[in-house]
Amino acid sequence: MIFAQIFDTINNGLLVIDREMTVKYWNRWMAMHSGIAADEIVGTSLFSYFPELDQPHFRRNCKSVLQFGNFCYFSQRLHKYLFPMSAPGSLADSFDHMQQSCSMGPLRNKDNKVEMLYISVQDVTEVVSYQKKLVIMNHTDQLTGVYNRNYMEPHLVKEIERCRRYDHNMSLLMIDVDLFKIINDNYGHPCGDYALKTICERITSNIRKSDSLIRYGGDEFCIIMPETSEKDAYKVAETIRKSISDHPFTFADMTFNTTISIGVATLDQSTDDVESMLKKADEALYSAKQSGRNSVT
Amino acid sequence: MLKSLLIVDDSPVARMIIKKCLPAEHGLQIYEAGNGQEGVEQYRTHNPDLTLMDLTMPIMNGFEAVEHIRGLDPEAVIIVSTADIQEKVIQRVKDLGALYTMKKPPSKKSLTEALERGAEAFAQVQK
Amino acid sequence: MNAAAEEVFSSEEKDILQEVMNIAFGQATAELAEVIDIFVILSVPNIKVVKGRDLPGYFINEMDGSSVVNLIEQNFLGKFSGQAMLIFPSGAEKELIKLFNQENAEGTYDVDIDTLEQETLIEVGNILIGACIGKITELLSDFVTYDPPRLVVQDLAESSPSHFPVDEDSFAISIRTVFRFEQQNVEGYLFLITKQRSIKWLKKALQSFLESFM
Ligand SMILES: [Mg+2]
Repeated sequence: MIFAQIFDTINNGLLVIDREMTVKYWNRWMAMHSGIAADEIVGTSLFSYFPELDQPHFRRNCKSVLQFGNFCYFSQRLHKYLFPMSAPGSLADSFDHMQQSCSMGPLRNKDNKVEMLYISVQDVTEVVSYQKKLVIMNHTDQLTGVYNRNYMEPHLVKEIERCRRYDHNMSLLMIDVDLFKIINDNYGHPCGDYALKTICERITSNIRKSDSLIRYGGDEFCIIMPETSEKDAYKVAETIRKSISDHPFTFADMTFNTTISIGVATLDQSTDDVESMLKKADEALYSAKQSGRNSVT
Repeated sequence: MLKSLLIVDDSPVARMIIKKCLPAEHGLQIYEAGNGQEGVEQYRTHNPDLTLMDLTMPIMNGFEAVEHIRGLDPEAVIIVSTADIQEKVIQRVKDLGALYTMKKPPSKKSLTEALERGAEAFAQVQK
Repeated sequence: MNAAAEEVFSSEEKDILQEVMNIAFGQATAELAEVIDIFVILSVPNIKVVKGRDLPGYFINEMDGSSVVNLIEQNFLGKFSGQAMLIFPSGAEKELIKLFNQENAEGTYDVDIDTLEQETLIEVGNILIGACIGKITELLSDFVTYDPPRLVVQDLAESSPSHFPVDEDSFAISIRTVFRFEQQNVEGYLFLITKQRSIKWLKKALQSFLESFM
């Protein structure tokens, strides 16, 4: 009696299936969120309502529960969800489906033999939503909205490893705004901030989605460009350089020009880790500065 | 009728369990060996009617022992006893000339069956 | 079995324990292959009795020096209680993914490779651990529940005794097997560390196991 009530009132999806994958029990939470009533689905195959579950991975885990009395877990990280349902309330705006953390375990008969298995479904959409926000905040530069340095190091490590593994090209641009201090000094800090924002906008409109723009320091930026040869990186760098130098900046009633210098580094035998990549790009940037600024090296 | 039985298993407990599962009035002369090599020697000495053979054993495993014994006596009746009863294992053991594979742990039922099938095969080769 | 085992088990108990583990791991191998299509070879289990404080040193010894590993740990709870530790050498995840996530080749999961690799390790680990413990407890007429498995990448040399579910002065039984996946060249270790309070139950269960054949 009590357990039957808990089954139907608990704030969790619960269902029971037998060895043939026939649904035996389906609690109200499942009915409410799936739109499938218990008397519709009970007695039919789980796969007839959820064909996308009929995969080696899911079957393998079911078998391990039925064969060994094992407990299995379907993490939100990998699966996002097992049962497609809509995300609750306003979270539906940012998630196509309710994010779920599911587990399954054995149900034994009087002789201790595993006869059925249960699946429990927990709605973790809200938690995932917070996680996403935190990750974004942690990776975003407040002022310009581009990536920050926290994001750079691990991302660069991963990209370098990936490109080396598949023997792909990869380039890195190091960018510095020429004489940025003068903008701040002459027109004030709000204007400096505006310049940085505008520079980011212009750069963003000249790179691909797969490239990542990072604010590396005060007026220093960095672009990670996967699948990009030295020649192509140089071309992009030139376009970016011109997009800054060829169009004046207007803030309040002030109009001014500024330029940037860019150092290019490409993955090769001698530069094959984060440190050597950054070092090479830094050196290139330094010589761009030496050669009179507003240039690409 | 079987008169003698050789039990080859590295585990004394496994051999004890097999003896416990034998029918009460079996009347068999029982020989024991603790690894494949000893098993081959015992077989050579006693020429038992039926051999029960474990697979995982030190010094010489059951696969090799079956092969050796069948080399000595192509009509040797050997039943393999193992917990790992994969299709592959069963096939390999069969190819080496064992009668069949029984699952570990044994039971009164599975040993009664082993003695029956063993006796049948033994009668065949006697003819 | 080692010297410390003499303090805990009689020689008959040791023999039964060894044979129960032989059977359990053998059955687990067969059923993983036949039922779940996981082709794994489990070595004859090596059983040792270890003092809680000696566990970290014991692990490093047993692992032939490779101390940075992927460790999947999972607690199991029943009359037979303790911690399972499945140890893959680092790098094994790349091989395992070829074995276990063929589905992903068709783009089932929209996740980065790290997540996929980690989750594959956890899934494979969970099934291996569950198969071995499930068979042991079935033979000994017990059944257990589990905590979700956790994946830790760690240096075993830096693990402290408090990491293990065993008091420094208590005895733990370590059941170790080396497993190897047939199709991929991946090897690892599975340790089952039982708590001291399971030892009393285990001694009884071993006797009952033997008596069940009378
Ligand atoms: Mg053996």
